[in-house]
Amino acid sequence: MSAIAPIVSVPAAAIPKRRSAQRDWIGWVLLAFLVFFILGPISTVILWAFAIRWTGGSLIPQEFGFHFWELTFARADVRAAIPNTILISVSVTILSALVCLPAAYAFARMRFVGRQFLLLSFLLTNAFPRFALYVAIAVVFFRLHLIGTQFGVILIELLNTTLLMIWIPTAAFQGVERSLEEVAMDVGASRWQVFFRITVPLVFPAIASALLLTFVGTFYEAVAVILIGAPNVLTIPVIMYPLINNTLVTQYGAILSLVLWVPSLVLLFFARRLVRGSYLTAGFGV
Amino acid sequence: MSTQTQSLTDKRVPKQTVVGRLIPYLLIAPPIILVAALIFFPAIQSVIRTLTPDETTSGGLFTLDRYRAFFNDPNSVASLVFTTEITLTAVFVLLIIGLVLSLYLRFRKSRLSNFVQGLAIFPLFVPGIILAYALIQFLAPRGMIDNLIHATGTKPVFDAVYRLFGLTGYRTAYLRPEGVVFAVVWEGLPFTVLILTAGLGQVDDSVIESARDVGANIFQVFRLIILPLIERPLLIVICLNFIGIFGSYTLPYLIGPAAPQVMGVLMQNTYNQFFAPLEAQTQAVITFLACAIVGLLYIRTIIRQRAGQEKFA
Repeated sequence: MSAIAPIVSVPAAAIPKRRSAQRDWIGWVLLAFLVFFILGPISTVILWAFAIRWTGGSLIPQEFGFHFWELTFARADVRAAIPNTILISVSVTILSALVCLPAAYAFARMRFVGRQFLLLSFLLTNAFPRFALYVAIAVVFFRLHLIGTQFGVILIELLNTTLLMIWIPTAAFQGVERSLEEVAMDVGASRWQVFFRITVPLVFPAIASALLLTFVGTFYEAVAVILIGAPNVLTIPVIMYPLINNTLVTQYGAILSLVLWVPSLVLLFFARRLVRGSYLTAGFGV
Repeated sequence: MSTQTQSLTDKRVPKQTVVGRLIPYLLIAPPIILVAALIFFPAIQSVIRTLTPDETTSGGLFTLDRYRAFFNDPNSVASLVFTTEITLTAVFVLLIIGLVLSLYLRFRKSRLSNFVQGLAIFPLFVPGIILAYALIQFLAPRGMIDNLIHATGTKPVFDAVYRLFGLTGYRTAYLRPEGVVFAVVWEGLPFTVLILTAGLGQVDDSVIESARDVGANIFQVFRLIILPLIERPLLIVICLNFIGIFGSYTLPYLIGPAAPQVMGVLMQNTYNQFFAPLEAQTQAVITFLACAIVGLLYIRTIIRQRAGQEKFA
């Protein structure tokens, strides 16, 4: 094939396409870099989780097995933290939907003074350096006796979800063709019927994505829990800190990492759809 | 006739009833109150309290003593400088890697480029705490990089490279500034690539082709055609990465050096270990101020971008 190519005269525009298949050396260099840079660190987690003995300067563990899995799940802190993490994430997701979805509907469908300005005010959640804001909130919460409570943690997590939970559904409600709803009204559907049979199915993918991102984001948030929830509120990301920092058994951290990963892998399953709907970047206000 | 009357009533109804005009405000009130109570109130309260005199400070109406104390304390100043250095370095590195990757992804559509994109976005699905664990096993002494360097016998090469940067020789990145930069670049890469790729998607092929036709080389095309067209995505990426890294805690805490600390770790210690809320608030306000210009620039860029989009539609 490639031997014929120079003989046939190719229009200038077609040259990049001919090159792209095999001689895309930039692509291979970038791929090699990313495999090392991205997959390198990740591979250590997987290797350590199934390692029984990994000593010296060996590149891979000397002995593999599940020995440390039993030990990890026998830990009392792990057993207590798993339901607690799920409880907080579910509560935040439900509360966030209750607080934000009606507002998103109003932003998309109603005209009122200050609409644009108020919609943009949610960008403030990104404009403040996160940890400094948490410290400022912690001082206020301390005087309100919210430090060390689930409720305090839930409030902060709720704040983190507002931009996402308002902007994605607002855009979705705006995207629903009004003519579709009007047609349904014309043939005799009631307002509620139109809402639940026409509007909701059309906005469902966007809102489901927002809910999923909210759940996963809350699930992994540890900084707010450490600052606001300590010492009473424990979640799995939080018990990871001491396991990472000062334990002699490296496997605990690796195994918990793999377990902790499950919600994020669910998200990964929907990655293509999330990228295409540009939901992944919506949390940044873009 | 009938359509006309209907459109007339449609317009009038919301204007007539007070309740009708209040409904949107009632619906948006909960999240607005949440943001006001958890951002405005704590931020303003921090500013006021740190400026209010008490028995430990001088001044009648307001005092700058606490801020003077911060800037007179070498430890605190070192934290501020260190955080700024780490942030600027990481933002710069992210920008370079992000631009190279997204330019490649913009101009190549193949199975290989799909793999490259998938890998670049993958960190989005790796939670920060797992990343911290993974990077320690990767960067620490006897970690993966260390083992690879010793196994391949390339330590002398790395010694030479590190000496170029004024160090005595090869060292692992764990508990060092370069480890923190490595970590935050890893975490920030997908967002950077996603935004820049989306921005580059707006650049028309025909514009680039016509520039090439009149004799512009690749670098001229990039500087004169592409760069001005992706100004907004670039600004957004710079601003959000800056604020994100400046306000980070987990990765610098677990991977960075014990001293100097980043502002996040300093605040956490001041607040939780030394029980000094006022000092912690002072540090928080200084952190807010360090990010204020960048934060405003971010909001302004988004507002302009949205205004542009709405004009389009």
